[in-house]
Amino acid sequence: MGKDTIVIGVIGSDCHSVGNKILELFFTSEGFKVVNLGVMVSQQEFIDAAIETNARAILVSSLYGHGEIDCQGFRDLCLEKGLEPIVLYVGGNLVVGKTPFSVVEEKFKRMGFDRVFPSDVDLKQVAELLRQDIKEKFGSSLNGQENEGQSNQNQLPGQAAQADQNDGQEPEGSRPK
Amino acid sequence: MKTVISIDIGSTWTKGAAFVLTGSGFELKEKTSVPTTQDNLVVGFHETLARLLHQDRQTPLEQLKGLSEIFFSSSAKGGLRLAAIGLVPDLTLQLARLAAMSAGGKVVKSFAFALTAGDVSELEKLNPDIVLFSGGTDGGNSKYILENAKKLQSSRLSCPVVYAGNRAVAEDVLNIMKSREVLVTENLMPEVGQVNIEPVREKIREIFLKRIVAGRGLAEIVDLFGSQPKPTPLAVFELISVIPEFYEEWSDLAVIDIGGATTDFYSNTESYLETDTVVLKGIREPKVKRTVEGDLGLRVSARSLFETGQTYLEDRLREEGFELKEMEEFVNRISSRLDYLPESQTEKKLDQILAEACVYYAALRHSGGWREVYTPQGRVYVQTGKDLRRVKAIIGSGGFLSAEKSTAVMAIPLRKLRTYGEEKKLLPDRPSFYRDRHYLFSVLGNLVEKYPREAASLAVASVENLSQKGESYD
Repeated sequence: MGKDTIVIGVIGSDCHSVGNKILELFFTSEGFKVVNLGVMVSQQEFIDAAIETNARAILVSSLYGHGEIDCQGFRDLCLEKGLEPIVLYVGGNLVVGKTPFSVVEEKFKRMGFDRVFPSDVDLKQVAELLRQDIKEKFGSSLNGQENEGQSNQNQLPGQAAQADQNDGQEPEGSRPK
Repeated sequence: MKTVISIDIGSTWTKGAAFVLTGSGFELKEKTSVPTTQDNLVVGFHETLARLLHQDRQTPLEQLKGLSEIFFSSSAKGGLRLAAIGLVPDLTLQLARLAAMSAGGKVVKSFAFALTAGDVSELEKLNPDIVLFSGGTDGGNSKYILENAKKLQSSRLSCPVVYAGNRAVAEDVLNIMKSREVLVTENLMPEVGQVNIEPVREKIREIFLKRIVAGRGLAEIVDLFGSQPKPTPLAVFELISVIPEFYEEWSDLAVIDIGGATTDFYSNTESYLETDTVVLKGIREPKVKRTVEGDLGLRVSARSLFETGQTYLEDRLREEGFELKEMEEFVNRISSRLDYLPESQTEKKLDQILAEACVYYAALRHSGGWREVYTPQGRVYVQTGKDLRRVKAIIGSGGFLSAEKSTAVMAIPLRKLRTYGEEKKLLPDRPSFYRDRHYLFSVLGNLVEKYPREAASLAVASVENLSQKGESYD
């Protein structure tokens, strides 16, 4: 016991599976209990798995450019299903075209995601932020009490700035397939 | 030469068979059946045993007992009635239902998430034999479990509760449900998607033996023989599990058993083969699987079959030139007289179409499906449920299919089921059809625990291949 459970997967009709496996290995080595749902995961499946495992966070990946449509209403569905304080992250190639990342980030934050990442990030930093956010929402990072703390405080992580240069374009390197 | 006797106490018939154990395996010596004596099962059991041993009916059971090795099973009270409680419908609840059915039970109702006051009073009304209580992965959700435990504790239910949920709160559940009989077993889904239904099945079986069979005189037989009966469906389940262990050519098989009250579908085949273009959604179902359909049957359940199966029946009746009305009258006739045998050619045909409908809906519910999805990376199939495409042999058992010599009753509905709505059903690609010619599967199943090789061997030897007669499936 004692590990925070997180649920990961690639949303929608997206089959990019390599990055997903890397994320599983990475977060496991960071001390999280990772429930990996693989590719082509629906919002409902993310939420079902989070309920059964009492997960602290859901990390949604999307690489094929349709992330915006796939993620629409994700936070609302979490609220409907009683997953109130859960931490929601999204990352990858979230939209097609040359939208500046700040615009993309704004869009997904408005949908209720706590943090938004471009396809090129320092995973170590993500893990650190994840621990912080879980602590914030659940009281303590390891098996903490649930508290009422609602989402959306403490947004805009410092590293969002570095993301801007990415422009949601072809990512440098980390893209599977 | 040793004689081994197996008796199956069914809901309408008590069937028995005597086998001779030779060096090479079992040989069927003789078979008999008598009507099940509802108020005291021992009477019918005694008579069957006496007949098989060629003894006078007056010979006391104690004496008969010494004459042969005896095994028995019982489907008492038309099977075991379970209520399943899970958390998420597609995950723990789905597994709870599967576990209950593969243990030989019938799921009377299932409940997801938190039980409401209405759910609890419905449970009380249903008065199941067992409540199977699950939910949460190990170390996962506990909120719903504890909430439901409190509600079960304050309910008026009297049956035992099998707890197979989040292990982390098993002790809390025991504490909350102090005044109840709660049996804790391993979590049926310790991790998301990980299937662990064996321990639950075993627990359900134990309860079946101790509690349910205690009535109607079976305790007397248990005392006398010092051995427990098997639930009939479990006997068949064990036989299906063991056949491919000894006969590799019989790997990937399915059995359909149409009875008066239920239709059982068993399969023994890998449920999902991972490839780049097929993605499995939901749980990975077990290799050996049984589903039982309480609304599909040829006598007791004929009326509910008529309702459930309306679409299929209308289609087939039109093809065969019958009116729906004729079928309705026939169904009324057979459901008021359960031992009714079809008399005319017309009635025989109608009975056959009813059996087809049983096959159609049992297969629909047992098998999984594929949906085609076009993604930016190409075409992908999304699979839900169990893939039966590799099944090579389909064996018909039960009173009707054991006697049915044509493949049509199984082949026609399976062919029609290939596409169902948007879904391609994952049915056997090129199966051969067989029948359990002497209706031995349930009695042979009783012998599996002690004589696995011999039972499997006779099962394989006693089926008849129906597909050889030139009837093609495609």
